[in-house]
Amino acid sequence: MHLLIIGNGVAGVTAAMTARKRDVSLEITLVSDESDYFFSRTALMYAFLDRLSRRDLEPYERKVWDRQGIRRVRGRVVDLDAEGRTVTLDGGATLAWDRLILATGAGPRMLPLEGLDEIREGVVHFVTLADLDRCEALTPSTQRAVVVGGGLIGIELAECLHHHGVAVTLVLRDDRYWPTALPAEESAMVVARMREHGIEVIAGDTAFAVAADEAGRVREVRTHGGRVLPCEMLGVCIGVEPRIEALRTVRTAPALGRGVLVDDHLRTSLPDVYACGDCAEVESAEGERFIETIWYSARAQGEVAGENAAGGTRAYRRPIFYNSAMLIDIPYTTVGRSADLPPETPTLLRRAPGRPLSQRLLEGPGGELIGFIGLGSDWDHELLERWIREQRPVAWVRDHLHRARYDVEFRNVRLDRMDEVRVPLHGGEVST
Amino acid sequence: MIRQTIGGRLAHDIRNRGLTAWLLFGLLSGFYVVLYFGVDYGHPQTGVERAQAWLYGTFTVHLDAFGAQWLSFGSAESGLSYAGNRWTLYALLYTLAMLVGGAWMFHRYRHNPYQMVRTFSVLFLQVSFAFSVPILLKFFGHPEYYFSYLWPLKIEYLDPAHFEYFGEILVLYAFFASLVLTPLLGLLWGKRWYCSWVCGCGGLANTAGEPWRHLSQKGSTAWRFEKFAVHGVLLIAVASTALWFASALLPEGSAVGGWAEGTRRWYGLVVVAGLSGAVGTGLYPIGGTRIWCRYFCPMAAILGLVQKAGRFRIRVKRNMCISCGLCSKYCEMGIDVRAYAQANRDFVRASCVGCGLCAEVCPRGVLRLENVRRRDPQELTLDSLADGSWR
Ligand SMILES: Cc1cc2nc3c(=O)[nH]c(=O)nc-3n(C[C@H](O)[C@H](O)[C@H](O)COP(=O)(O)OP(=O)(O)OC[C@H]3O[C@@H](n4cnc5c(N)ncnc54)[C@H](O)[C@@H]3O)c2cc1C
Ligand code: SF4
Repeated sequence: MHLLIIGNGVAGVTAAMTARKRDVSLEITLVSDESDYFFSRTALMYAFLDRLSRRDLEPYERKVWDRQGIRRVRGRVVDLDAEGRTVTLDGGATLAWDRLILATGAGPRMLPLEGLDEIREGVVHFVTLADLDRCEALTPSTQRAVVVGGGLIGIELAECLHHHGVAVTLVLRDDRYWPTALPAEESAMVVARMREHGIEVIAGDTAFAVAADEAGRVREVRTHGGRVLPCEMLGVCIGVEPRIEALRTVRTAPALGRGVLVDDHLRTSLPDVYACGDCAEVESAEGERFIETIWYSARAQGEVAGENAAGGTRAYRRPIFYNSAMLIDIPYTTVGRSADLPPETPTLLRRAPGRPLSQRLLEGPGGELIGFIGLGSDWDHELLERWIREQRPVAWVRDHLHRARYDVEFRNVRLDRMDEVRVPLHGGEVST
Repeated sequence: MIRQTIGGRLAHDIRNRGLTAWLLFGLLSGFYVVLYFGVDYGHPQTGVERAQAWLYGTFTVHLDAFGAQWLSFGSAESGLSYAGNRWTLYALLYTLAMLVGGAWMFHRYRHNPYQMVRTFSVLFLQVSFAFSVPILLKFFGHPEYYFSYLWPLKIEYLDPAHFEYFGEILVLYAFFASLVLTPLLGLLWGKRWYCSWVCGCGGLANTAGEPWRHLSQKGSTAWRFEKFAVHGVLLIAVASTALWFASALLPEGSAVGGWAEGTRRWYGLVVVAGLSGAVGTGLYPIGGTRIWCRYFCPMAAILGLVQKAGRFRIRVKRNMCISCGLCSKYCEMGIDVRAYAQANRDFVRASCVGCGLCAEVCPRGVLRLENVRRRDPQELTLDSLADGSWR
């Protein structure tokens, strides 16, 4: 039996490893059009910062693939035939399969920009290895750069460029940084830190046009707000979309929405074809539809898809959400529900005066903890998850917060010396 | 890779095995050769002698003369004096290198109290017990003794041939510190109490050697070699010490005495001068820091075994690792930390010196150095049992 996996990102690779664990006799092949070996996409910025080499991005020793009996094929899948059970690569080769997993990930979203046709150089994304090469090649000839996008990838790209001596302006569409994850107070802390660091931040504006010099290199960016920003590089980091364009034109396409539609066992509409990771749009048993474009979900989904493709019957249950990041140098942890809740959701906001250090406890209707947002120190997300599952009262969590600390030894974060206010999640006056 | 300034290019070159790194390697190794093997050739006659004298003889004379001139205190007439030589000079340079590297550490890791405390500790012990105290002891006519170095790192401290010279108190201290204190603290806090907080070898690596820490050999092959090598040296150290005790107990003139003398010479030449000095430090710019500590140090081997049985752990936050690889890259002992982190496994590795840099560089706060075995951070108290909050 042959398991073919399209995409060697974390979802595809985790699926391969999980299938191998379950079935040692399975023939397994990974196809990728991007790289010969699995690499960590999340670490692109550290390669750009020159803290890691390309080889360091590979999470496994190269011997592992042979030892695990996982064949790697380089090529782009251009056709899929579910009846004949084959796929076709761009070189014309066909690969037969008995089980197929689609793990094609997500690609960058593009901003509609006037004048884009004239640009031959200088507009970049920051998602693939090719993007990294392009960014690195352009940086030496760049004095000023504009990065559009108020999420994680935008701040990462801005930080990298700034590190290499480029004057960076980050343009945020909304009135604050990362509104889908951070309430206003937390956003403001991050923006303040970016500015201190030397990154210029413009909020509530978007780029609508870009102009090129004679050579076709980006020369300036114009915004709706009337700003003209001279620059030699424009980074567009406004989110990602499932990479399914190739699947739209194949002989037998699986049912597609924004992503590849799958049920809670990660099965597509085609028999013996599964999908997982950034490309999958999951429809849960409760009828909820979601696309999760984060590393942890890609991994968890990869486990389920791999297990099921190898004969298992596991369902994917969306875990209590958690995520973490390093925003410039402010560690960020979130668990449970956060900025997506109604604005009037009551929260307890704890802040250290004058420092980027805060915790926010989000409260459910019964006064129980439903979410946590921490900035400036490290937290044990497992314990917080447990408290959310157990519906611990916010008042109790507040008094026991020190137990969930995950700080380095000798760091004494004075949790008892924080300013506390009860505020609604978004805006509004302070309530009791 | 983008490096726009000349300074940036040089920094990259010297930190990543470029030409300048090899030059520095040549310089450092040359320095160690002169230091350990240099002899005074007086008036060289033959061509070979002249070449040898030119190669290191004269340098050594200069080193000794320089040491004697600048680092001698007091006068012989007053009865109190200290004769400087190249070793004093070496100790001074070593301490200065640590202080400069230490200042950089303080600046770079000012936000990380673990790094601050640890760096302060090694610097303090270097300046006091590994530099000033031995000189003062000699100055006042006592044996030169390094309280921060223990058997089997300083193998002669448990060599009966030296007991008379050191005197009862120091010999008792050596026995106690090496055989009781070392394993005890190792069980409580892991290897780090010595390797990252006290030892000067580790101290130099973690201060002046910091720019090269990422050059350590990663991968399973290096790990296999490490286990073989470090335990091999430990075996040799223990066997040599046993031999020296035997030769001290057996009547004079027996064959054992000759063997003991031989092992003393060879151990000094190969292990102390060669591996801990020339290879251990000379190779910084090429092979990374802590080559000595990882592959050869017998003290580290003992502490590693103790650590495996003790309370020290590196705790891994479940499902939080993004497999970026910074932790593995910056591990000076070549441990593939990422392999454990992405597999959600808490771990203890014998070679881990607990420098804490993996936790420092991790951008997702996955790693934590701990001394407790229990993973659950919720402590069990009578109160918590009563109100059920322990659950
Ligand atoms: C800069 C950056 C930083 C990030 N940081 C974080 C973070 O801190 N935390 C977090 O949780 N998430 C982060 N993410 C998101 C995370 O990287 C993704 O969620 C995760 O990599 C998705 O894995 P995947 O396996 O689904 O897809 P991918 O990693 O995108 O892999 C898909 C692979 O399939 C290949 N492929 C696609 N179509 C075809 C085809 N037709 N033929 C052959 N091969 C094909 C692609 O080339 C690609 O190699 C970050 C993403 C980026 C870009
Ligand atoms: S540094 Fe942290 S996130 Fe990166 S691989 Fe290591 S443990 Fe994982």
